[in-house]
Order: sequence, then structure tokens, then C-alpha cells
Amino acid sequence: MDLPWTLIWAVLALPLVGSIIQAVMGGRITRNGTDEAGKRLMGFLAVFFVAVPFVIAALLTLRLTNLSPADYPEPLEAFDWIALKSMRIPFELVIDPLSMTMTLIITGIGALIHLYATGYMAKEKDYARFFTYLNLFIAMMLILVLGNNLLMMFIGWEGVGLCSYLLIGFWYKDVANAKAANKAFIVNRIGDWGFCLGMFTLVAFLMANAGQAGIPADLRWFSYDVFLPNCVVLLQQNPGVATAIAIFFFIGAMGKSAQFPLYFWLPDAMAGPTPVSALIHAATMVTAGVFMLNRLHVLFELSPVAMAIVAGIGAFTALFAALIAFGQTDIKKVLAYSTVSQLGFMFIACGVGAFWVGIFHVITHAFFKALLFLGSGAVIASMNHEQDMRRYGNLGKYIKVTAFTMVIGWLAISGLPPLSGFFSKEAILGGALGNQVAVIGDVPVGVIAGWIALAVALLTAGYMTRLTFLTFFGTKEQWRLLPAHEDHHEAHHAEDNSHDHAVHGDHGEDVHGFFFSDKEMATRHAEHEHHHDLTPDHTPKEVYPSMWIPLVVLAVLSVAGGILLNNNHLLQHWLYPHGLTLIPHEAVDGHPKGWVGQYLLLMGIGAGVLGMVWGYFVYRNGLPKDEKDEDSWKPWRRSANAQFGYDSTIMDAGVTGGGMLANLAWWFDSKIVDGLVNGIAGFTGGLGRLFKASQSGYARSYALMMLFGGLAIVLYFVYVANSLGGKV
Amino acid sequence: MEGSNLLLPGYLSVGLFMFIVGVVGVIVRRNPIVIFMCIELMLNAVNLTFLTFARFRPSPALHDVADPQIYMSGQMMVVFVMAVAAAEVAVGLGIIMAIFRLRQNVDVDEMNLLRG
Amino acid sequence: MQMPLLSILVFLPAIAAILIGLIPQKKVQVVRMVALGASLLNFAVSLWILTKFNGATFHFQMEENCSWIPSLGISYKLGVDGVSIWLLVLTTFLSFISTWFSFYITKRVKAYMVSMLILQTAMLGVFCALDMVLFYTFFEASLIPMWLLISIWGGERRIYSGLKFFIYTFAGSIFMLVGMIALAYLHKEAVGTWSFSIVDIQKLVASGDLWSKFEYLQPWLFWAFAIAFLVKCPAFPFHTWLPDAHVEAPTAGSVILAGVLLKMGTYGFLRFVLPIFPDVLPQMVPYISVLAIIGIIYGAIVAAVQPDVKKLVAYSSVAHMGFVLIGIFSLTNDGIMGGAMQQLNHGISTGALFLLIGLLYERTHTRMFKDYGGLKAQMPIFAAIFLIVMLSSVGLPGTNGFIGEFLAMYGFFQAAYANMFGLNVMYAAVAGIGVVLAAVYLLWMFQKMFYGPITNPALLRLKDLKPWETVMAGSLVVLIFWGGLYPSTFLEPMEASLNATRMMAVNPANKRPVWANINHDIDSEGDLVEVASRTPDQVASYNPTTAVVRVLSPANYYFPPLVNSPQVQGRGGSGNVRTD
Repeated sequence: MDLPWTLIWAVLALPLVGSIIQAVMGGRITRNGTDEAGKRLMGFLAVFFVAVPFVIAALLTLRLTNLSPADYPEPLEAFDWIALKSMRIPFELVIDPLSMTMTLIITGIGALIHLYATGYMAKEKDYARFFTYLNLFIAMMLILVLGNNLLMMFIGWEGVGLCSYLLIGFWYKDVANAKAANKAFIVNRIGDWGFCLGMFTLVAFLMANAGQAGIPADLRWFSYDVFLPNCVVLLQQNPGVATAIAIFFFIGAMGKSAQFPLYFWLPDAMAGPTPVSALIHAATMVTAGVFMLNRLHVLFELSPVAMAIVAGIGAFTALFAALIAFGQTDIKKVLAYSTVSQLGFMFIACGVGAFWVGIFHVITHAFFKALLFLGSGAVIASMNHEQDMRRYGNLGKYIKVTAFTMVIGWLAISGLPPLSGFFSKEAILGGALGNQVAVIGDVPVGVIAGWIALAVALLTAGYMTRLTFLTFFGTKEQWRLLPAHEDHHEAHHAEDNSHDHAVHGDHGEDVHGFFFSDKEMATRHAEHEHHHDLTPDHTPKEVYPSMWIPLVVLAVLSVAGGILLNNNHLLQHWLYPHGLTLIPHEAVDGHPKGWVGQYLLLMGIGAGVLGMVWGYFVYRNGLPKDEKDEDSWKPWRRSANAQFGYDSTIMDAGVTGGGMLANLAWWFDSKIVDGLVNGIAGFTGGLGRLFKASQSGYARSYALMMLFGGLAIVLYFVYVANSLGGKV
Repeated sequence: MEGSNLLLPGYLSVGLFMFIVGVVGVIVRRNPIVIFMCIELMLNAVNLTFLTFARFRPSPALHDVADPQIYMSGQMMVVFVMAVAAAEVAVGLGIIMAIFRLRQNVDVDEMNLLRG
Repeated sequence: MQMPLLSILVFLPAIAAILIGLIPQKKVQVVRMVALGASLLNFAVSLWILTKFNGATFHFQMEENCSWIPSLGISYKLGVDGVSIWLLVLTTFLSFISTWFSFYITKRVKAYMVSMLILQTAMLGVFCALDMVLFYTFFEASLIPMWLLISIWGGERRIYSGLKFFIYTFAGSIFMLVGMIALAYLHKEAVGTWSFSIVDIQKLVASGDLWSKFEYLQPWLFWAFAIAFLVKCPAFPFHTWLPDAHVEAPTAGSVILAGVLLKMGTYGFLRFVLPIFPDVLPQMVPYISVLAIIGIIYGAIVAAVQPDVKKLVAYSSVAHMGFVLIGIFSLTNDGIMGGAMQQLNHGISTGALFLLIGLLYERTHTRMFKDYGGLKAQMPIFAAIFLIVMLSSVGLPGTNGFIGEFLAMYGFFQAAYANMFGLNVMYAAVAGIGVVLAAVYLLWMFQKMFYGPITNPALLRLKDLKPWETVMAGSLVVLIFWGGLYPSTFLEPMEASLNATRMMAVNPANKRPVWANINHDIDSEGDLVEVASRTPDQVASYNPTTAVVRVLSPANYYFPPLVNSPQVQGRGGSGNVRTD
């Protein structure tokens, strides 16, 4: 039996419903995070509302696989969201291979990470709030990929940004987290500005050419199925506009997918809980840019320049982030830069016309990077929230499941055959080195990007080996040398020190009942007890099953995902059954000519192995001496640690410079603009003061003045009458 | 029925004399009651002038005025002035009474609250 | 004779104010309840008007007309169309909310409530008046109660701020009065009788007769009106009264000021400037747009460094009203709709922000950021509501703020892209930066108030919102989501009138819609059509799918106008399509 397509609405609605349930009832059911049974219920519901959509989406995808592209369902419209007489933007969903692939990743990986989070966040008081945001994120991400018009993509685009903001700042009592959240949102907004301009340019262009393109009968200017076919012919006549549109959209992708120069929010975003890093900042949200490029691939195909820019920026980002990763000591930061770097790989793929490979790498990366993040979360949890890799070592002995699965992730990301990362990376290298598309002038940007990608593959294996060995292997158990435990959540309870109510007393009687009485305050403080349940001797313990089960599943996928999807060009033919729209197949067929093609496979594997070997020799005994404390670091490592000064420069310019500019503007406003206003008022007042002396207050002097005034008028008239010759 | 034009300067002279007496009185006297009386004198001087001109205005036949109201406009004005004067005296005396109660003194030179 | 609904709406608060005058000063609770009851009743009346309103026609409905000073053509003339309908509902709603909030006022309650009610009458009068003298009367009458609210119940510098508010806006509108008298005189020059009715004047504008001999006056009169409304909006550089007035006004005053009084400016543009000065508009669009864009960027930048919450929101109003202005002055259907939507949104979300800040101020008696921090833990419900309202102000999709901002920006971009009115894409790109900056200062505000540890011990004893406060603020949150998820409720009743207003502004003479000609109307495509002869009563039941006789002017939403379209070339020359 075939499921009806309309069930896609359930896929979208269920996470939203889940989010609302968590928001409205979560606090009550978990009794503000004190009731364990309540938490288990809410945790179950959170997973349920993501897992069921996954099942539905899987069944719908199965139905879709049995159809030929011509029989794919029409977009499903629910209601008119914005309906004007000049245009119409309905709330509509599209079911096609691309949207369903993304849906499966989001709900599938999402469900696993939700399951993981039920364990990871078990000690959290704001349990329901966490899952409110997390479920809402799934819903927003689904709107992003399932929507059939640019505006719906934009709802999701900003919606996931919002969830990211809320989740990065989840532990809001630490101001650093709140600042990281702000940074993420604001940098993403810069990207959104590009997205909006791209969208506006595209539609305004079509409208300006409505005489030629025709006006869509149902006025759905922003819908993919309307504008994509329309713009091909028109934009071919206007390559400049095509380039502008593509670059604007790519600016949007740079923000969301953390590409240079807008990448610098992502490492800070690791301030959020680890499941968030895995779900949002590795597996799904940050790949939205790759999804967008695939969705709008026609626009990019129209402009070789834009494609070359995409590939070039992707390659530069990949290299830049990989280098920075060597200078990081925080396990999550390494993974964050690794994510930025891998996203660069995806953009190389898109830039050289191998759009499907971009999605392929999105999928495999979602598997192994989610695995690595969740694994790192398990490590962090077992190490009592210590994130510095220099304080790990030989953990493989104590947390075996975590270590085993993370090793698989390490091998996968290093590109060792036959793990999943190998296939997608080979496809990227092949596509880039063999492409003839991404060219500016005579410079084969795409091919250069391919060579850079090869180098980055080596670096990737290198820093990932460093991470793995420092954490799990080596003989030095650095954590045994640590002083008494530190709780990174300590900051949450910073307010406990103040029982002062002197200030409250200033307002006198509390007639409105605004404040807690002393008695109520006492009970509130009792609720604020800390929950230290750290093992005294620090011995790491394996995490809950709810946390390692997702690790195992993801490890299996990381092993088998690549070979399954690449088998017989399965994914390629599923996503692009007819190839690209404009670019001929030969230009992007992914087989470099000559010796490069011959040795491609060898070079790809060789780069990975070389990196791993280097890592093994440097880190096999644990932390080398010159990495211990920052004073002994080599200059290049210190520079890499500081992101080569990029982040601090931008932040200084943005925050300090912006603040100075704003203060200047404020000074201008209050002194010049308002000064002018008050100046005019003051001038009038001064004029008044000048004449006020004449108002002596003596009634008789007023009378005298009136007399003179009257006489003056009479005399004037007499004078006028005389000058007229006495004719009056 | 027209009065002799010879009388016109006489009436106007009386009006002017009354007005000048009023003006001088307002300026030189300090007692507000007397000042009020002088103001009344000035108003009545104006009234007299109005009535004089109303009485001695040129024949209406020369002007062919359609509106009959205009014949009586001078007298109307006098009635207005009297009404205004009455109102003014009522208010003014009230103020004087109030000031007297406040400071037991009504010398106008000492009432300078409105000084700028 | 049907019920004079609009007169009831306008004067019901004034009658209630008189009633309150009869209640003894000491019966504070009775005074409050009467004021609240009257506001609620008036809100119900406005909803009743909304249900009776027909959004398909652009004509004024529920018109009332009686002669006032016939020799000068001044009449008591009220009417409501799509431009004003939602502003009426917004006014009564926000008045109700702020009266409810005003239960916290304990100083001279009777005088306070009388001021609030008189203010309500004046504001409603502005949005209903179709006679310029009547409009001007209400426009200025609204200043007095607002001035009293600021100067008596305000903060420390209330006298200064109240005076500044009064004199600044008053001085601005003096020019408008001159302009109005000039228009009435031009009407006399054209047809022989004075008239202050905008329906009469627009009729002559539409046929081109009003300006035919006085073309040189048009720019002058345009600026006479524009300055009054720019001050009211307020647009850069006429905005400095706003931060002072907002900071010192009591909460209810700020809500009304941001929610309604500022809308009088943009309403004035839609009601007077677009229909009456079509010939100079294309030249003036760049000037107004530049002022609006400067306002967007400059307001956002200055907002970012304010130490005072209310001042931050006040400067954000300058930025937000800039979006309304660029929307309206894009002269595209999308842009004008966006501008009109954005003024409603701004009323709701900025009104809500001031309300929430007021709720906090009642508790802590401080507006300074340095006194706040970490409130999220202390007041989770308050924080959640504040977050939603803040996001609406940021313009997040799904909230009402997005719809207005998106449509306004998009409309402006269309005009800019087609190089209409001397604009180009750079203008739109720069205006777009305002959206980024909005996130900067609003997130900073939220972080300062709600995130981080609690540093001020006074905050530790704060309880969350009380139930009635939650309902009051929650009602605004409902509107925020309603506007964001199903904006058609708000857009539909406005579209015909706004579309007609746009055509009054951009169409050539004799192709413009005429309010006075009840056989003109808008069909379902948005074209200007002539319908079968009908009586004024039939206008209210107009159905665009029937009884169309002929198309007078196609809607022509496209810039540049379609080559093959029967449309006469739009005003302002044909834009060039960029091909580079």
C-alpha cells in the first residue's frame, strides 16, 4: 500500500507539535527538572516526535523511488501565506529526491541525536526547554528542505538560525555562551542579507522581464517550479545578472554553512550542549548552504564565474580551517574546525558542478561527524566536562564503546577505504580535478581547488589522528594529574551568594505582590541545590546505553553508508537522473584525464594514510613536550590557535570599531541633530529674554506705552493722509 | 430732521476732552478704583463719538445700502461697549477685591507680579 | 438612516471621559473600571466596524457628512477605508491594553484616565476624518492629552520632554495647515467654491484640474505636508523628540506613542501625500527614500549603544518606521502593502516591547541595562514573551515583523532594480543592512537583560508575571503570530484601498481612481474598473467578480511596465533593465 503524499504534512507537523508540548507542559511534567519519571516521559516524547516522521518519510521515499521523475507529485499547497493581487506565496511543500534525502538525514540523524540527548541532558534542570528548542529545530529544518518556494526556505533558514541561537545560549547564565549565541545569529543575518538580495534580484529580474517570461498564472513568483524553468533562457541572455544572483545566494550559504569569511561563528557555537553541536553545527543546519546550492543549481550553472568562486572559497576554507584545527586543544573546537573544513569540501564539489557529490558528502559527513561529536560528548561527559585534549589520554581503556566507535569515525573522516568518507572524498577529488566548469578567465579554479582538497585530505587525517591518539591512546593518563574537579556548570548558580534584600526594601511596601517573601525565598534556595555526582577519583565511566546506542548506529552507517550510496551510482542517479540542466555531462564526469586520473585513487588513499602515519609517529606516546602548555608552542601553532588573527581582527573591527562608530553617531545625534533643535528653541528663548525688560510690571507704565502706541498709529495715519494730498 | 452740522465739532470736542481726562487719570493716579473710573470715562468718550458719528452720518440715499442693519451700527456698537465695560468692571473689581484681601493694599505700583 | 458608527467610535471615549468627570476623585477603582469598560466597549465597536467593512472596494464606507462651516467648505466628514480600518482597530486595542496597564497608576487617577480617553478620541478622529480641517483639529488635539501624560505622569525630565514633544510636532504641522488652506484655495480657483474635503480635492487631482495652473506650487505643498508627517513618523533628522518623549512618558503613553501616534505620520503619507501630489512624487521619492534609509541605519546604530532600554526601543522605532517609508515610497503594490503592514506590526511589537518594559519598570523602577541581567532564570514566562516580541521586532519569519519588512523591502527592491525614480539597487542593499543591525542591538538588549548571572540582588526576589499581566502581554503575542502565519487577515481588507492609492499616485491624469466617483472600483485582478451605475449604499456590498463595465486602467504591478500591455506608461519614465 502506498502512503498518500499528504502525509508529508505530518512529517512537518509532528516535531512542531512535539515542541509545543515540551514548551507548554514540559515544565509541569518534569516539575522544573526535578522529577525523573517526568523527564523520561518528556525524553521519550521528544524522540517519538522525530522518529515517527523518519518512518513516514522513509515510506514516502520508498514510494518515490518506484516512480519515474515525470511522475513525481506536484507541490502540495496548504494555504496562501502571503496573498496579494500582485503575487502569491503559498505554504507549499515539494516532494522530490533532494528534499526527501535531506528529510531522511534530518529526521534519522535527528532521532538518534535526540535519543543521545535524553541521556546527555539527564542531569539538566531545563530538560523540557532543551527539547522544546531541539524539536523546533527539526521542524524548522524540515521547512527549509521541504518548502517549495524561496520564502519557505527562508522561514526555515532563519528558523534554524533562531534555534541555533537559543541552543548555543542554552546555558545562558554564562555570558560567554550568550555572546557566542549572539555572534552566531548576527553573522548568520549577514548571510541572510545576501540570501534576501539574491531572492529579490532573481524575482525582480523576472518581473522586469515579465513581458518576455510571462506572468505565472497563479502568481507564485517565488516557487521553484515556477522560476527555475523561467530563468534559464532569460538569465542566459543576462550573464551579469546571473552571476550577481548566484553570488548573493552564495553569501547566504557562506553565513549558514560557515564558509570564509563568515565562518567564525561556528567554532564559538560549540558553547552549546554537545548534542546541539552534533545535530545543528555538524550534521544538518550547516549543510543547508549545500542543500540550497543543489536546489538552485540551475542559477549556478548559468554562471561559471560564480561556480569558480564557490569552489575557490570552498577550497580556501577547507585549507584554512584544517590548519587552524592543528592549533586547537579543545576537543570540540577541533571537530568544529574539521566541520568547517569538510563544509569547504562540499562547496568544492558544488563549485565544480558535482552537485550530487556535495549532497553525498553531506550524508557521509553527517554520519561520521555526528558520530565524532557524540563520541566527544561521551568523552566529555565521562571526563566531568573537561574538554581540553591535553588532559585526556589512554581513555580507550576505560570507555571502550565510545573509543571503538570514535575510531571508526576517525578512519571514516580520514578517507580510509571502504569507509563512507573515502567514497565521498574520492568523488570530490575526481570531480574537482576533472572538471572544466569552474574557470575564471584562463585560471582553472576548480582544478586548483581539487589539488588543495588533496592536500587538505592529508591535513584532515593528520589532525584527526592527533585528536584520536591524544584522547584514547598513549600511556600518559593526564587526567589523573588534575587537581580537584571543576564543574563547568558552576556558573549557573552564581546568584546563590546573594541573599540581600536591602534594595528590595527601598521600594517600601510590596503592595502589588511583585516580590517573593522571605519564606518563599527560603524554599527557592533549597531548590537550587547543586548536583555534584562526580566520581572522586575521576575514573571515566562508560555512558548510558541511550548515549552509546546512537554511537553504534552511526558507526555502522559510517562504515557502510558510502559503499551503499555509491554502489552503481545510486545516489547520483537518484538525485540527478538526467544530469545537470545546462552543463553537459562530459564537463563534470569526475574522471580526470591522463596520469592524474590514473593515480587519483592512489593519491586519495595515500594522502589519508600519510596523514595518519605522521600522526601516529608524533602522538603515539601521548602529548609531545612542545604541546604541553602554550608557552612551549611553536609560533605556527600559536598562530593557528588564534585563527591566524582573523577572528580577533573581525571582532575588534565589529565590536570595538562598531561601538566607536555607534558612540560617534550617538554623540552626533545628541549634540548636533538635537543640538540644532534645542539651539533653535534656545534662540527663541534668548530673544524673549532680550525684550522681557520692557515688561516692568507697572500697570501705569503699560498704560503710558499704550498711549504712545496709540498716538504713533494716529500720527502715522495723519502722515499717510497728508502724503495722499489730504484726499481721505 | 438732520441735526445741524455745526454741532458736530462740539460733540466730538466733548468726547475728546473726556478721553484725555481718562487717559491722564489712568496714567497719573495710583488708586485702582480711580483708574477704573477713568477707563469708564474713556469708554464713554468713545461711546459719545460713536453716537455722534451715527447721528451725523451722510444720508443713506447717497449710498444705496441694501442692508438696514447698517443704519444702526453706531448705536449697536455702543450697546456692545457698554456690555463689555460692565463685564470688565465686574471682573476687575473682583480682582481688586481679591488683591486687597491678600495684601490689604491696592496701590497699582506695588502690583508687579507680571514683571517679565 | 443607518447608525453613525464612526461617530460613536470616535466620541464614545470622550463621553466616557465626561462621565468620569462626574465620579468623585476618591473612587479610584470606579474611575479605572469605567475607563477600562469604555475602552473595551470601544474596541468592540471597532471590531463591529471591521465586520461590517467590505475590503473589496476602495471607497470610503460608513461615511458621515454634515456641514460645519459651509461658506468655507468645511464639513464634519468621517469615513473608513482599507488604509484606516486596521489602524482604528489597532488604536482601540492598544488603548484598551494601555488603559488596563494603567491600573498601576496611582497619581491623580481621574485626570489620567480622562487624558487617556480624550487621547483615544483624538487618535480615532485622525484616522476617520475626511475633511482636512477636521483632520487637523484631531491631529493637534491628540497632542494635548499626550503632553499631559508625559508632563504629569512622566519621569524625571518630563517637563522638558513634554514641551519638546508638543512644540516639535506642533511646529511641524503648522506647515501642513498652510498646505491645507492652499489646497482649499486651489479648489476654489478650479471650481469656484472652497472645499477642505479630500474627496473633493482628490477628484480634481485625478482629472488634473487642480494643479493645471499651479504646477509650480506642487513641490512646495508636498513638502508642507511631508515635513509634518516626517516629524510625526519620525524620520531622520526630525526624530530627536522621540527618544526624549519615550523615555520620560509613562508606560501607557509610550505604548500609545509608539503604537498609534507615529502611525499618524505614515497614515498621512498614504491619505494625503500619495493621492494629492502625484505629479511631483517621482522627483521626491529619492529624497524621502534617502531620509528613510539613513533613519534605518542611523537609528539602528545609535540604538546599539543606549544605556537605557526605553531609549534603545525608541531609536529602533526610527529604524522601523524607515522601513514603512521605503515601502510606501516604492510606489509598488508589494511595497505599499508592506509599508501598511509594517506600521501595524510596529504598533504591535514595539507597543508590546514598551508594555513589557513597563511591567518590569513597575517592579524595579529602573530602565538601565546595568541594573539588569540574568532575568531569564527569575522570570521565565516574562522572558519567553519578551523573546517572542523581540524576535518579531528583529523580523524573524513566522512573526508579523517579517511580513511587513519583507514586503516593504521587496517592493522597494523592485522599484530600485528597475531604476525607477532615480533609485538603484545600492539603496535597497544598504537598507537591507538595517535588518542585520536590528539583530545586533535587539539581541544585545536581550542578552543584557536576560542572560548571564544575576548581578543585581534586587532582582533575586522578583516573581514572574501575574496571570492578568500574562494575559495582557500574551494577547499581543497572539497577534504577533497571527500576523506572521496568516497575514491575509490583515492584508486583504487593505489591499483594494492601497492599490487605489498607488494608482492615484502613479497613473497619469484621467486614469486615476476617484474617491468621489462611486462607479470606479477595483476588480479581482486589482485593475481600476468602471462598474454599473450604483448608489452609495451598494458600494458597501460591492463584489469584484460582478458588474464590471470596462477596465479603465490595468493594475500593472510590473516595473518597468509591460511592453505589450495596454497600460499607459507609468509615471517617472520607463526604467531600464540592467543587462550588464
